[in-house]
Amino acid sequence: MKDIYILGIESSCDETSCSIVKNGTIDISTVISSQIDIHKDYGGVVPEIASRHHVKNITIVIEECLRKANMVMEEIAAIAITYGPGLIGSLLVGLEAAKTLSFIYNKPLIPVHHIAGHIYANSIEKKMEFPLLALVVSGGHTELILMKDHYKFEKLGGTLDDAIGECYDKVARVIGLEYPGGPKIDQLALRGKPNYKLPIPLRDDSYNFSFSGLKSAVINLNHNLVQRKESINKEDLAASFQQVAVESLILKTRKALIENNIKNLIIAGGVAASTGLREAVKKLQKELDLNVTIPSMKYCTDNATMIAAAGYYAYRLGRVADLSLNSKSNDKLN
Amino acid sequence: MRILYIDTSSSYLYTGIVEDEHLISEVKENLSLNLSRLALPKIASMFEECSLRPNDIDKIIVVNGPGSFTGVRIGITIAKVYAWSLNIPIISINGLEAMSVSFSVSASIKVPVIDARRGYVYATIYNNDNVLLKPQYILLSDLMSRLNKFDNYTFITNNEIELSGEKCKYNPDIGTIVNKFCQRLPDNPHSVNPEYLKLTEAEESRI
Repeated sequence: MKDIYILGIESSCDETSCSIVKNGTIDISTVISSQIDIHKDYGGVVPEIASRHHVKNITIVIEECLRKANMVMEEIAAIAITYGPGLIGSLLVGLEAAKTLSFIYNKPLIPVHHIAGHIYANSIEKKMEFPLLALVVSGGHTELILMKDHYKFEKLGGTLDDAIGECYDKVARVIGLEYPGGPKIDQLALRGKPNYKLPIPLRDDSYNFSFSGLKSAVINLNHNLVQRKESINKEDLAASFQQVAVESLILKTRKALIENNIKNLIIAGGVAASTGLREAVKKLQKELDLNVTIPSMKYCTDNATMIAAAGYYAYRLGRVADLSLNSKSNDKLN
Repeated sequence: MRILYIDTSSSYLYTGIVEDEHLISEVKENLSLNLSRLALPKIASMFEECSLRPNDIDKIIVVNGPGSFTGVRIGITIAKVYAWSLNIPIISINGLEAMSVSFSVSASIKVPVIDARRGYVYATIYNNDNVLLKPQYILLSDLMSRLNKFDNYTFITNNEIELSGEKCKYNPDIGTIVNKFCQRLPDNPHSVNPEYLKLTEAEESRI
C-alpha cells in the first residue's frame, strides 16, 4: 500500500506546531514553537498575546517542518488541523493557514478535535487495540472515553467542575510556583511525603470526577498553616495533593475497566506526563493485567504530531471538510 | 502580471484580482462574524469565476491593519502562507493609507477613521498625499481637536461611528489601491505581520 503522509497543524493554545506523520504512526518531522517564556510573566496564557505570536510563527514553523522532513507540499496526502476546542483567536491562525494550503495545493482538509489528537498521540507509540478506555487528563479535560473502534468515542464520565490540569496549576499558584505550575508540583511531589490529610473527591458510583473540592481543601490548608504561622512543607503538600488527585483518577479508571470488561488502556493529555500518574498506572496495569499505552513525554503536551496521527485515521474514514471549516472554542468529541 | 488583494481588517472581506492594472474580479462583502469561515471560500470562488488557479497569481498585496485584531490576523495568515508557499512577492500596506488612496474625491483634507471602541479610533490625516498625522490609535476627542484648524475635511470610514463633519462611506477601489502600491519593495513573508497600533490589555496593564 502507498505510504500516506499527513501534515498536521496545531495552534489551539500557546504552542504553534506543525508535523508530518507517515501512515498515522511514524513521526517524520515535528516542529513546536512554545510561548511558555512569554506567558509566564503574566501567570498564565494571555489569549490575545498567544494569537499574536501564532501569526508571527506560523510560516516559519511550517517551513521548518517541511525542511526537516525534506519534503514538499505536493507529497502530502492531506492537511489535518485542530479546529477546536481551544482559544478561538489562536485556533483561527492555524485554521486559516491550513485552509490556505488546502486551497493552494488542492489537498483534503481534515478537521481534528484537540482531544482526539491527544488520544491518537498513542498511535505513535503502538497500534491501538479496541475496545479501549482512554483516560484524558489535561488543562481543560478530565474524561473517561470508551472507544470500540477508530473515531467511535463514547464518554463514560468526566469532571463535574475543574479539569485536573487546571487544579494542578491552581495548587501550584497557591504554594507560590511559577506558571506553568503543574509539572513543578509533580517534581516537588517526588521529594515529599503525603503527610497532609486531604479528602479523596467524589467516591461515588459514577465515572465522574470533581476537583474543585480538592483545590479548595489545599487552599484552606495552606491558609490555615499561614494563619497559625506554621511553615509549609511544599514538597509534602505537593505529594499529598498529587496522591489524592491520582488516586481519584485511578479509582474511576479501574471501575470503568472492570465494569466494561476492557483490557486496553491509554492515557492522553498534558497530565499524562506526570510521573505520579505514570507510576500509578503501571501499578494498575499489573493489578488488572492490562495493555497500557502512555505517550512519550514529548507527545503529552500540545503538538501537531498527534493531530497528524489523528488526521490519518480520519482521512481513511473520509472525514474531510471544505474551505468553510470554522474554528470552535468548544465542541463535543465525536 | 496578476495581483491578489486581501483586506480583512474590518468585518468586511475586500478582495480582488488585478490583471495588468485592470481589476478583473472582486468581492466586497460584510461577513461580520462569518469572516473566518467564509473568507477563503469567497476567495476560492473568485478564482473559479476567473478560471484562475492559485499559482496564476504573481504578487499579493495585503492590509496589515489597523482594525479588528482577529480580522487582520485572518487576512495576514492567508496572505503570508500563500506568498510563502508559492514563493511569490508580498507587500503589506496600512489600511488607513489604502482608504485615503481609494478615495478619489478632491477633498484636500482626508481623515480615514476606524472605530477602536471606548472613545478611541485608529486614524490618520492626509492633505492630498502628505501625511499630517501618521496612522495611530487616538482618542476621538484628540483627533477632533487636531482637526479644529482646518475649515474643511472629510472622514472616510465603514464604521457606524458618530463623527461631526462630512462623512464618506469607505468603498475600496481595489484597482486604484493595487496600482498605487504594487511597485513597493516586497516583504519577507515570514515577517509580514499585523500592525495592531495598540498593545494588548495585558501588556498595557504591566506598564
